[in-house]
Amino acid sequence: MIAINNIGKSFGGKQIISGISSTFENGKTHLIIGQSGSGKTVLLKTISGLYQADSGAIDFDGRSLMDMNQKEQKLLRQEIGMVFQGGALFDSLSVADNVRFPLDMFWDVSEAEKRDRVDFCLERVKIVDAHNKFPAELSGGMQKRVAIARAIALNPKYLFCDEPNSGLDPVTAIVIDNLIAEITAEFGITTIINTHDMNSVMEIGEKILFIHKGHKEWEGSSKEVLNTENEALNSFIFSSKLTAQLKK
Amino acid sequence: MRFFEHIGKYLFLLRKIFSKPERFKIFMKQVLQEIELLGLNSIGLVVIISLFSGAVITLQLGYNMDNPFLPSYLIGMGNRETMLLEFSSTILCLILTGKIGSQVASEIGSMRVTEQIDSLEMMGINSANYLILPKVVAVLLILPLLSIVSAFLGIAGGLVAGPLAGVVKIADYIEGITFVFKPFYVFFAVVKTFVFSFIMVTISSYFGYNVEGGALEVGKASTNAVVTSSIFILIFDLILTQLLLQ
Ligand SMILES: Nc1ncnc2c1ncn2[C@@H]1O[C@H](COP(=O)(O)OP(=O)(O)OP(=O)(O)O)[C@@H](O)[C@H]1O
Ligand SMILES: [Mg+2]
Repeated sequence: MIAINNIGKSFGGKQIISGISSTFENGKTHLIIGQSGSGKTVLLKTISGLYQADSGAIDFDGRSLMDMNQKEQKLLRQEIGMVFQGGALFDSLSVADNVRFPLDMFWDVSEAEKRDRVDFCLERVKIVDAHNKFPAELSGGMQKRVAIARAIALNPKYLFCDEPNSGLDPVTAIVIDNLIAEITAEFGITTIINTHDMNSVMEIGEKILFIHKGHKEWEGSSKEVLNTENEALNSFIFSSKLTAQLKK
Repeated sequence: MRFFEHIGKYLFLLRKIFSKPERFKIFMKQVLQEIELLGLNSIGLVVIISLFSGAVITLQLGYNMDNPFLPSYLIGMGNRETMLLEFSSTILCLILTGKIGSQVASEIGSMRVTEQIDSLEMMGINSANYLILPKVVAVLLILPLLSIVSAFLGIAGGLVAGPLAGVVKIADYIEGITFVFKPFYVFFAVVKTFVFSFIMVTISSYFGYNVEGGALEVGKASTNAVVTSSIFILIFDLILTQLLLQ
């Protein structure tokens, strides 16, 4: 479980997020939703420790991120898998080597075991015939899937995904969403996903955190989200003609 | 004020670069790769510019020394000294900065803007150490060697072009290049190249590592890297010449 309490972060004197508290449970998929520029990426990077929070507390299963020294933080990071907004695959490495990278760095096992693990992770995200391709040769959806494979390579306890399905067609988007949700349940991972896709909210959101202008505006389940009275959330969800009609 | 901020951030980056690599085997593999990428791939350029510059310098010395009281072996000696003292270290590094510096800055810069560097950090890897140290080691190993090769080629260029153009006889030229030869000048060239290589690769990495924005900023960073490295190479040229030759 990850617990965040009253965290804030500013850049160059500009407050980007402030006063955000919540909890994220093991084996569950949590969604952070909000408009572009609302601070989702900053929030996720702050929780992960990539950005240092200005204030507040972040606990990973009772271990306080703020109290960790560099060495402890480094060890924690090996328990975290992260999928960045653009995939962030290493473009000088092949697909297989991308997934293998964290294993080479941190796993003291035989070649064969590493190869098996790479195959397992890639199979898990349904990539079969692309081991030797380079990221530039993959479609956007495949890149995201390889990024997920790399993120789960070290069996993470925590999985953070920044808009894993943005820029993808609705079918592929749902495939990726379900993939993450399955992996989360299967391995009891604590998963946080940033998204502004309402499909994801309905498909896989077990708990939803709505960020508006850098603060927590609303929190609840995917069932509650449709009947909310919250004005900002309403105008966010029902902004398109399609969703507005569905509501009627 | 911005200047001191940059110096501070640069020194901070250096401290991050110079720590123990995560995996020594992977590090060695990277160094070999970088030697090929940054060093061996520059050999063609070094060969061409050294041969031609040596040839041109020899011809110019010849045409400007038509005074019969000056012995013609001075032409060979002049070319040798120019190569060792300035060309094969300073000028060579300035030219290589255009190639290596821009390559390093844009490679690291594009990794920054596509979050590949964040990705490394998120895995618990010291990204500066992982990405930059192999480049520093490779360049420091290979450029001093290239510098010596360049001096030889420059002298060879003169040996071919001088007699062909009729400005100096082969025997005179050879007498010139061996006349009061100071081995210290070879050491001087190597030390300078060593320092300039360090400047070039670390400053370029600094600009790439601290890019903010997108592809446009990566391009700008790469230009800034080359300009700034060149300026510092010239400043240190002055300092080292004063220190080592006085
Ligand atoms: N490293 C940074 N330095 C300064 N400002 C930043 C930085 N990162 C983000 N910001 C600012 O913080 C705000 C929130 O950005 P953020 O990337 O978190 O938005 P987001 O909700 O993820 O948007 P999107 O859905 O478009 O990805 C923006 O105004 C952005 O300009
Ligand atoms: Mg974002």
